[in-house]
Amino acid sequence: MTPPMLHIENLAIHRGTYRILLPRLSLARGEVAAITGASGCGKSTLLEMIGLILRPECLDRYELTGGEGATPLDIAALLREDRQARLADLRAQRLGFVPQSGGLLPFLDVRRNIELPRRMLGLPASSERVEEAIEQLGLQPLLHKKPAQLSIGERQRASFVRAIAHEPDLLLADEPTAALDPLQARRLFELIVETTQRLRIATLLVSHDWGLLRACAIRRLVGVPDAENNGGTVFRDAA
Amino acid sequence: MRPDARPGWRLLAALATRDLWHDRKVSLCIVASLVAVIAPLLLLFGLKHGVVSQLRGELLDDPRNLEIRLLGNHDLDRAWFARLAAQPGVGFVMPLTRSLNAQADLMVDNQRFVADAEVIPSGPGDPLLGAHLTPPDGDRVLLSASAARKLEASGGERLRLLVLRKLDGNSERGQREVTVAGVLPETAFPRPALLVSLDLLVAMEDFRDGFAVPALGFASGRPAPPRERYARARVYANGLDAVAPVAGWLEGERIETSTRLREIESVKAVDRVLGLIFAVIAWTAAIGCVASLAGAFLANIDRKRRDLALLRLLGFRRAAVGAYVVVQAVLLTCLAFGVGYAAYLAGSTVFNRALGANLAADAFVCRLENLHILLAFASALLIASLVAALGGYRAIHIQPAESLRDL
Repeated sequence: MTPPMLHIENLAIHRGTYRILLPRLSLARGEVAAITGASGCGKSTLLEMIGLILRPECLDRYELTGGEGATPLDIAALLREDRQARLADLRAQRLGFVPQSGGLLPFLDVRRNIELPRRMLGLPASSERVEEAIEQLGLQPLLHKKPAQLSIGERQRASFVRAIAHEPDLLLADEPTAALDPLQARRLFELIVETTQRLRIATLLVSHDWGLLRACAIRRLVGVPDAENNGGTVFRDAA
Repeated sequence: MRPDARPGWRLLAALATRDLWHDRKVSLCIVASLVAVIAPLLLLFGLKHGVVSQLRGELLDDPRNLEIRLLGNHDLDRAWFARLAAQPGVGFVMPLTRSLNAQADLMVDNQRFVADAEVIPSGPGDPLLGAHLTPPDGDRVLLSASAARKLEASGGERLRLLVLRKLDGNSERGQREVTVAGVLPETAFPRPALLVSLDLLVAMEDFRDGFAVPALGFASGRPAPPRERYARARVYANGLDAVAPVAGWLEGERIETSTRLREIESVKAVDRVLGLIFAVIAWTAAIGCVASLAGAFLANIDRKRRDLALLRLLGFRRAAVGAYVVVQAVLLTCLAFGVGYAAYLAGSTVFNRALGANLAADAFVCRLENLHILLAFASALLIASLVAALGGYRAIHIQPAESLRDL
């Protein structure tokens, strides 16, 4: 059996006395999972830790497996040693982010925003997959506009294309549909699921939209109050 | 397989430039505040440098300012001259005879006549000669401008040198034909004078002392002994700053001197005063500039927190984000210096046109050497980089998570 693309065990951090704990998470290639839970339960914090931008206090295992048959990369060690530069490189090479409000650089047009992750890695600015995604998301007419000229939905779509432009291993999205109407939200979700499967990457997103998650048959990781520890959240796979 | 490349400098610089252009109103404000400091400082320093070098140039143009005149007659031997010539700061030394013997009458014909012209011994390196004239030698002599005017003589003309002596109650007139090899510039020496080789001057003194001097037409009598001692000397320093030390050394030899130290000192005083004024203004402006730059850069970084956090999120390293901020500061400073330099060129042209009208053709009221421009540019870059590095230090502590959340 091939190892999972992402494997995490016992990831935890304290926010004051409040503990946020992820006992175990495995994501296979092509798999999408959603982090859900009540507001303020620590969904974004969890995503930041998995996204290597917040250092967890406790972490037993964090492995990311690149190509098929590659040896898993021990990210837990890098986090423990706080190797900031190496972690930044990993973010550039292995991760793709879709921030809540798009997070496009205001001084670059859409095309350059999308190309940025590839340029950072010294890859050719454009690829077939990027052009495909641009086509599919209807971004073609927007390529030469600055983010300020776009609607929130358009920004979110551009941000998604940027997040997959360099063909990362893991796509992380923090409430990507929060500002979208139901129809747009559904289209973006479907596209995320489809792209994840097609590119054989793993996707972890934060969402409140249970109905949509169910409709797209997305695996859920639910934050529930910590039974052992009063004040805290444990994220477990929904039954 | 996935390349391990990291974002390069070119990408960083390109992003920084696009950011500045996107934000051009704010960029322009920062550039303008820099220009407002750089241009006046360049002009001010240009004026100071122009005025002082003009004054110094005028001092240097007049060889008398470098001269240390020995007062009275002394007994100076060859060893003393050798010691004097070895002193640091001494530019030119020439033995001189007693003052009364260093005079002669010059005559072309009965109408063109100069009585009691000063006879000055000269040689290679004499400041009176300037850069172009060759020193006198044998029958070839040089005239001062006023002597040449009175004699209506120019280069190539022959004239007679007349020396009178009283020997055993008889007046005797020694004379020699010489050729005018050249005429000194007007500024070099104001009075009628003749520049000759030392041998000729010594011959004149020997003649007056009653010896036989065939060179002046008197071969009979006792021949003069070989010359070992001189009464005086012509002494020149090799620069304005060397005049005082050389004069001091001569005082130490118990020889009174007269110099133009006061004029030199007054130029130095002007230099000092202007330097002080310039330093105070420059420091005030520089401190104001640093404060305004610090404010502008830090406020800019606060404004761009989200963008910087996003760069970190996308995988730019901390150092790269710090460099991003510094690159922007350097770009703005280069632009500001360019504009400031253009403003300086315009301003200095106005100064030179309006105030330089009564100066010589090659004179400047306001000027800077290339080295000054380079130094000014380097210090502007240094200040901007230091201030930006402060901002960069703040920028590298921006957490990438700030870009994920709507704060």
